[in-house]
Formats: sequence, structure tokens, C-alpha cells
Amino acid sequence: MKKLKLLAVLCLSVLVSACAGNKVSYGDATAVETTTTGFGSTDLQSIAAKMVDDVLAFPPIVQMTAQRRPVVFVDRIKNKTTEHIDTESITDSIQTKLLQSGKFRFVDMTAVKQIQEQLNFQSDSGLVDPSKAVAFGKQTGAEFMLYGNMSSIVKRNSDTKDVYYKFTMKMVNLETGIMEWAGEKEIRKTGSKSFLAL
Amino acid sequence: MTKAHILKAALLGAVLAASGCAVNETATVTTNSAGEQSGVIVSNSGFLSANLRIADTKIGKAGDLMRVQATIENKSRNDASFQYKFKWLDRDGFEVSVGGRPWQPLTITAYESKAVQAVAPNASATTFQILVQD
Repeated sequence: MKKLKLLAVLCLSVLVSACAGNKVSYGDATAVETTTTGFGSTDLQSIAAKMVDDVLAFPPIVQMTAQRRPVVFVDRIKNKTTEHIDTESITDSIQTKLLQSGKFRFVDMTAVKQIQEQLNFQSDSGLVDPSKAVAFGKQTGAEFMLYGNMSSIVKRNSDTKDVYYKFTMKMVNLETGIMEWAGEKEIRKTGSKSFLAL
Repeated sequence: MTKAHILKAALLGAVLAASGCAVNETATVTTNSAGEQSGVIVSNSGFLSANLRIADTKIGKAGDLMRVQATIENKSRNDASFQYKFKWLDRDGFEVSVGGRPWQPLTITAYESKAVQAVAPNASATTFQILVQD
């Protein structure tokens, strides 16, 4: 009987220790993520993919980029949702994909200060050979601006939460003020309490 | 059949039923640049092979970028929720922009077809695949 008790305790401890260990694993970064109804990686990736596809397939843009690579600057996306969303991360993804398509070039407004510091160093420090220093006033101005909005509608009742996101992006010609392109992506997510969680 | 056998069979059944929730098969349709479909859905997933069909694929051009559309049909009388992803290959079979496109969720209602579209990440893509998983 004593032996049986000992065996039972041993079995129990093995079971408990098997459950208590920390488990870390790598997952697919592009997998569909449905942890909560909040804005997530799948939403970010879907928005970026849709916007890039839309820009690259829009006939006037196809025509415009056939012979040259227009220079674009990316303004911020206004976050009008109730959540904290890093909209710069969305525009970074879109910018990277557009750049890699070979159809557009970008000026990076987030690096202006650092570029200026480097140019000042080259011209004022006395350390750089003046014949090899980068000249001032030679940078290219952007022809187009990308900007947009992100909004959401959240509705809930006692056991269901419905979230609707709308992401709108626009491309404006800076010289004429004409909007050359606009794209939209809608996302609906519904979360409900599962039977087992009740 | 002894009691032990029945127990073993029941346990095996339970394990199979539990693992059935985590089917992660990938179906592939490969289309070459001439528009010839050279593959069909190949899957061990009962859900995919029984209910989904790639009804049609179309290839076009947006400038020098490949533009594709695939029409996915739900043959069952229930709604089908699954995920799809486009994959791009260049002339030599190298994947273009590895991991560049996400799995995207899609729901198709009973007996309905839905078209999904994508534009190649750059001009080097000449072949595409659509991966479907549940």
C-alpha cells in the first residue's frame, strides 16, 4: 500500500513538472493571428499587401512608372481609432514593398536631421577633402506624397465584439495638388465568448 | 476483442479527433507565364480537397509586373473559412521576395466563388503559386 502511494505521488510530480516548464517556440511571422480583436500583425500585413497591389495595378500609375521611377515622400497615417497603433510600421512596410517593386523611389523625411548633420560635418569640420565632400543643394524634391487615415468602429454586446477597421491611403501630386490615386482596405473582426469560457 | 483493445482503439480515435483540429496541409496551384495551369490542389486535408476548388486562374500584366487572379469555389453547403497566400517565383524557380506575402483569411459562403488577386512584388516574377490551408 505504501509503495502504491509513493508511486502515485511520483506520477503526480512527473505530470506537474511536465506542465510547469517554460516553452518557447518560433512561429510563422506571416501566419494569421487571432489572439484578440485588436489590431494585429495579420491586419498590418493585409493592409500593406492590398495597398501595394492597388498602387502597382492602377492604370495611370502603371503608365507613369513605365519609363521612370517617381520620387515619393511618405507622410504619416492619422490614427483615428481608439487603439494605439504604430502607423509608421504600416507605412514602412508599404514603402519597402513599393521600393522593392522598382517602380518608385523615396525621400526619407525621418532621416533629414541626420543627413543635414552629415553634410555639415563634411563641409564644416575640416576633416573631409572638399573635392570629395557631398555638395549642398543637390537633393531631389519629392513629386508625390503618400498619406492616409485609419479609423475603426467598435460595437459590442454581452458576448460578442465586432471591430471594423478602415484604412485609406492617398497619393497626391505635390505640384498640381491632384490626387493621383487612393486605395482602401476594410477589415472586420468578430470576437465572441467561447462555450468553454462561459 | 479484449477490453484493452477497445481502450486502445478509443484512445487512438480520440488522438486522431484532437489532431483533426490542427490540419495544416498546403494546396498548391502552379501556373506558368504562358497561363497554362500545371498543377491542381494536392492536399491531404479532407476539408480542402472535398470543399474547395480553384475554378479559374487568370494572368495579366500591370506594366511589366505580373498580375494574377484566382477564383476559389466553395462546393459545399457550409461556409468555408480558410487562409490563402500567393507565392512568386522567377524564371529560374527562385522564390521572389521570400516571406513577403502574408497568409490571408478568407470566408466563402456556400456554393459561392470568390476571386483573389495579387500583383507580383517585382518584374522578375514569372510564375505564381496559391497556397491554401485551413
